[in-house]
Amino acid sequence: MEYKLRKAEPRDVPDILRLVKELAKYEEMENQVELTEKELLEDGFGDTPFYHCVIAEIQGENNNSDGQTVVGFAMYYFTYDPWVGKQLYLEEFFVMNEYRGLGIGSEILRHLSDLAMKMRCTGMLFVVAENNEPSVQFYKRRGAEDLSEEEGWRLFRFDKNSLVKMATPAEE
Amino acid sequence: MEYSIRAANVEDCKDIARMITELAEYEKVSEHVKVTQKDLEQDGFSKNPFFHGIIAEVPEQHKTKEGHTKIGYALYFYSYSSWKGRAIYMEDLYVMPEFRGIQKNGLVAMEIMCMCMCMCRKSLVICGVCLSGKGIGKALMSKVAQLGLAAGCNQLNFTVLDWNKSSLDFYLNQGCFDVTADMGYHCMRCEGEALQHLAQP
Repeated sequence: MEYKLRKAEPRDVPDILRLVKELAKYEEMENQVELTEKELLEDGFGDTPFYHCVIAEIQGENNNSDGQTVVGFAMYYFTYDPWVGKQLYLEEFFVMNEYRGLGIGSEILRHLSDLAMKMRCTGMLFVVAENNEPSVQFYKRRGAEDLSEEEGWRLFRFDKNSLVKMATPAEE
Repeated sequence: MEYSIRAANVEDCKDIARMITELAEYEKVSEHVKVTQKDLEQDGFSKNPFFHGIIAEVPEQHKTKEGHTKIGYALYFYSYSSWKGRAIYMEDLYVMPEFRGIQKNGLVAMEIMCMCMCMCRKSLVICGVCLSGKGIGKALMSKVAQLGLAAGCNQLNFTVLDWNKSSLDFYLNQGCFDVTADMGYHCMRCEGEALQHLAQP
């Protein structure tokens, strides 16, 4: 089956959200997705994008008027490590179930790794749920290190409410 | 002691590089620091910056014996959650040891270690901040939170090493949660040869 990778465009926003929700469903977290198409459009295709996306589409389905269907994507942005410099952060990476096994995922990862190197990033970072065995193995086979397991790193988060409290100056 | 917090500019890169290295030297892992002052200038202060910084400064009369008035910093960048949208990531938070103080009620200041993703293979402390009476570390973190909210962010993320109980407790008391513990998310990285290999056709 022919597929091609390309940079996402504003018209892809509905498909991006669809795939975000499909991945969340796969992780049994579907009700956690609060992002809207409007936010995705503003945040990804405005003057200062917060994220970038690469899309995988195949020919022959009639989902879109031009005969293409978006079947996979990766959402990424650039981060910084003060010791070793630029990093590429892979926020989201998903290929629809029925289109797996065709090499689309590997090709997306290859494309991103190549981009990381061209941008002089020294690493590519991402998180994986520990109970997502297939994904953990997919990444480990490709040489990824589990920093949480190997070095004890834990990701911490202030959500909106606690962020508001944190932003309030402390009384001295 | 008076101090001020402001946005970093390109002239601060010398001091930021100094403080990044200071900590690495103290931990005897300075060989891990590859980023130079020039890299910081290019990566943080060109048209498309990869990070932003805030600096904590003290007045001349409180400068260190080497003459430094820039005595703390935080590095952050904007990120994105595919579930919640705009987010801010606090990469580094550091205050020079002599500007960590004693709590107003006389208790010895608690040294809180705040981790960044530039981890050392030996899992040593990367950067430290004392969130006590002088409050500089906490003020820096609060400023990062303010900047995040002003930019429309819905979350502030950072990493902490699992052995660092005092930091873990401190952050949890501030109202954040441990994503790795609660949701089982592990931080992963592909670098060096593995990254090069992945990039091959």
